[in-house]
Amino acid sequence: MARLTAGSIDEVQALLAQGDRSLLFVGGGTALPPGPPVDLEITTGRLNQVVEYAPADQVVTVECGVTLAQLQGELAKNGQRLALDPPRPAEATLGGIIAASSFGPLRTRYGSVRDLIIGVSILRADGTRAKGGGKVVKTVAGFDLPKLMCGSYGTLAFIATATFRVHPLPEKTVTLRARGGDPLEMVRRVRALQLEPVAMIALGEGAGWDVFIRFEGFGAGVRAQREKLRELEEAEWPGHAEGAVRLRFGALPTQAAQVARALAPLRARLEWLPTLGLGFASCAGIEPEALQRARRELMGLGGWLTAPGDWGPAPASLAVHRSVKKQLDPEHLLAPGRYVV
Amino acid sequence: MKQETPGATQAEHKQRASPLPDALVSRFAAVVGEAYAISKPEQLRTYESDGLASFRVTPGVVVLPASTEEVIGCVKIAREAGLPIVARGSGTGLSGGALPVPGCVLIGLSRMRKILEIDLENAFMRVQPGVINLDVSKQIGPEGWYYAPDPSSQSVCSIGGNVAENSGGAHCLKYGFTVNHVLGLRMVLYDGSEVDLGGPVLDQPGYDLTGVVVGSEGLLGIVTEVVLRILRKAEATRTFFATFPSTTEAGNAVSAIIASGIVPAAIEMMDTLAIVAAKAATGVDWPEVGAALLMDVDGVIAECDHTSANAIELARKAGALEIRVPKDVAERELMWKGRKSAFAAVGRIARNYLVQDGVIPRSEIALVLQEIAALGRRYGLRVANVFHAGDGNLHPLVLFDAREPGEEKKAEEMSGEILRICLRHGGSITGEHGVGADKAPYMPEMFSADDLETMQLVRCAFDPLGSFNPGKVFPSPRLCGDKPGLYQPHPTELSGEAWRA
Repeated sequence: MARLTAGSIDEVQALLAQGDRSLLFVGGGTALPPGPPVDLEITTGRLNQVVEYAPADQVVTVECGVTLAQLQGELAKNGQRLALDPPRPAEATLGGIIAASSFGPLRTRYGSVRDLIIGVSILRADGTRAKGGGKVVKTVAGFDLPKLMCGSYGTLAFIATATFRVHPLPEKTVTLRARGGDPLEMVRRVRALQLEPVAMIALGEGAGWDVFIRFEGFGAGVRAQREKLRELEEAEWPGHAEGAVRLRFGALPTQAAQVARALAPLRARLEWLPTLGLGFASCAGIEPEALQRARRELMGLGGWLTAPGDWGPAPASLAVHRSVKKQLDPEHLLAPGRYVV
Repeated sequence: MKQETPGATQAEHKQRASPLPDALVSRFAAVVGEAYAISKPEQLRTYESDGLASFRVTPGVVVLPASTEEVIGCVKIAREAGLPIVARGSGTGLSGGALPVPGCVLIGLSRMRKILEIDLENAFMRVQPGVINLDVSKQIGPEGWYYAPDPSSQSVCSIGGNVAENSGGAHCLKYGFTVNHVLGLRMVLYDGSEVDLGGPVLDQPGYDLTGVVVGSEGLLGIVTEVVLRILRKAEATRTFFATFPSTTEAGNAVSAIIASGIVPAAIEMMDTLAIVAAKAATGVDWPEVGAALLMDVDGVIAECDHTSANAIELARKAGALEIRVPKDVAERELMWKGRKSAFAAVGRIARNYLVQDGVIPRSEIALVLQEIAALGRRYGLRVANVFHAGDGNLHPLVLFDAREPGEEKKAEEMSGEILRICLRHGGSITGEHGVGADKAPYMPEMFSADDLETMQLVRCAFDPLGSFNPGKVFPSPRLCGDKPGLYQPHPTELSGEAWRA
């Protein structure tokens, strides 16, 4: 398999225009699903320019190969950040984060990449360059190509550049920990008190959970919220769980206990976002039968479970997903065999 | 974008088509019931236009289904008869998104107004598309929850229409637009099949088709159920109203507040004419100054007190003449009523007006407003400005008198020039009203032919026959490649598009 480090977006466009090869676009490789070999892998590490940054408008445009850490460094100079915290920011590129719809606990308050992206320029499978969205935080002109790219795993187009809404860095941050806490109870409590954490995560390994709550903002508001949960200890925000295999799963927030039971046989470290009903299970390895059993249980709850390259049963809406794929990549040249389509 | 005060007529955009055969109308009636298949000319007139009242087209038949099954039945009949289909919610849209196509089947969803499920613990509601925006929040308000998107028409506009247009509102600066609050959809596709996209369980494997359908302006199918994200109410909201000598100082205040790290829930600007109009319509006792800001911050009490005090200080430094803090909920609501009724209020100070909806980078508000004022002087027309300053979403209202020969045409030209100013500043031709019929001709000024073609590929993926809302959004139709079976005239061939006069 050939591998090429693209020197420019024009170069990628020229390669696509040749239209005779299957292709895989590779960013930092932190969330790349495995799949069948392709004719050419294009890595984006040199497409690493911040194209345009307007701090006063809180909008930034980057090339796809810019890493999250690099972008955050640029934004921090102006007291701003992209409110996204997926794992491995030093390697993860913005193109890859969009393609894999990667996220972390900040999704609790700020949503996922789909909620922060406002514009995109792409190269279609035949090299046609197209854009959608815009460079302003609010626009409804035309179909939402930026959202179509989120979670498309490089199967619809090459994401060349993207524009994001950015947020001010908080003046103060406090993390609280409830050892052995019940995530659902903690969510109820936070809501009853009308607190507004920017992030909540429950970590579980075997028995019980530790729930972490993070407040951010101006000092006065953070202190007042901390005071309302005064029995909780202050702690460091936990890092992302490490593991050779990282599964993703989803269910309703109220199903936290059933989800934990369903996943217990995997002996994985669980990260659960209790307000969203989304989580990750990290482990050294996984037995296919154990994965299938856990998936069946989650699906019985109305949830889902995916492993790298294994999306589980096709969604009921598969025909429409296939139809979109067929229109944008009729020859199946982009990331073949790497997604539900 | 055009509004009229009563009594005015604008005939040039009007077009009628010959009525549908009775046998066809009977088939629709068999699905939805006699009373809900409307074909009498005088009854069809109700549906000739949406909030863009100057564009009028008579539909072939109006059907008012009560269920997803009835929508499916109507779509199948329309498909067999080769008729274009236009969906309509409450008909409050300002871009002609629900404007009929000549001879079309207009599917009105106002009878589908059931709230199907409320799940506060999991923070979602499932509703039918005809449910009124404000009724969602009313339903869950007593428990301390609400639905965030708040278009100014929220007391009458429907969730289905909000989904089609990706509606915004004053508070989307902090909370996002409809698309950020729709978790899933049930929709009927061109062939009468039904599909569920997304749902209350987030991130199900597959493309984010929910995100694509929201804001697709009725071109991809008919949404018959919507899963909405709902939010716990904030502990507090702090509001203030500040007056300024001109929009320049007010614009600078907005920039300073945003630059300080405050994320207001809403920050709205009105210029002199908008203030005068709001006073005339709602009785607010605002001074007739150059500009005013109305700002909300919300969150925990301590945070709100801190940010509102800071924002007031920044407004003073930027040159505020006067700051008013409402003394109670009633006064706050009156302030917001003044703002939200501003479009209609302009009818008090002008016989006719065009509502524009453009977006610019918010740091350039003062500059762009000066350019718009200069444009007004050149055209000899007054412009009232009332808009969402925090996200740079302008709503210039171009005032005119249709009785004066040529003045309406001049106003239309000037309104188009305003969009070009927005584009020159790196902005957008619409922030929340949609492209619809009104702005389709401007799409090529914002997007390249390849951009538009790519969007049309998405359309073809959902609706290969182009049956849904033809002639909207895209300036020219695109045929979706070869179709199996007999030749069917493309809906845009049937419609002729003559109505876009």
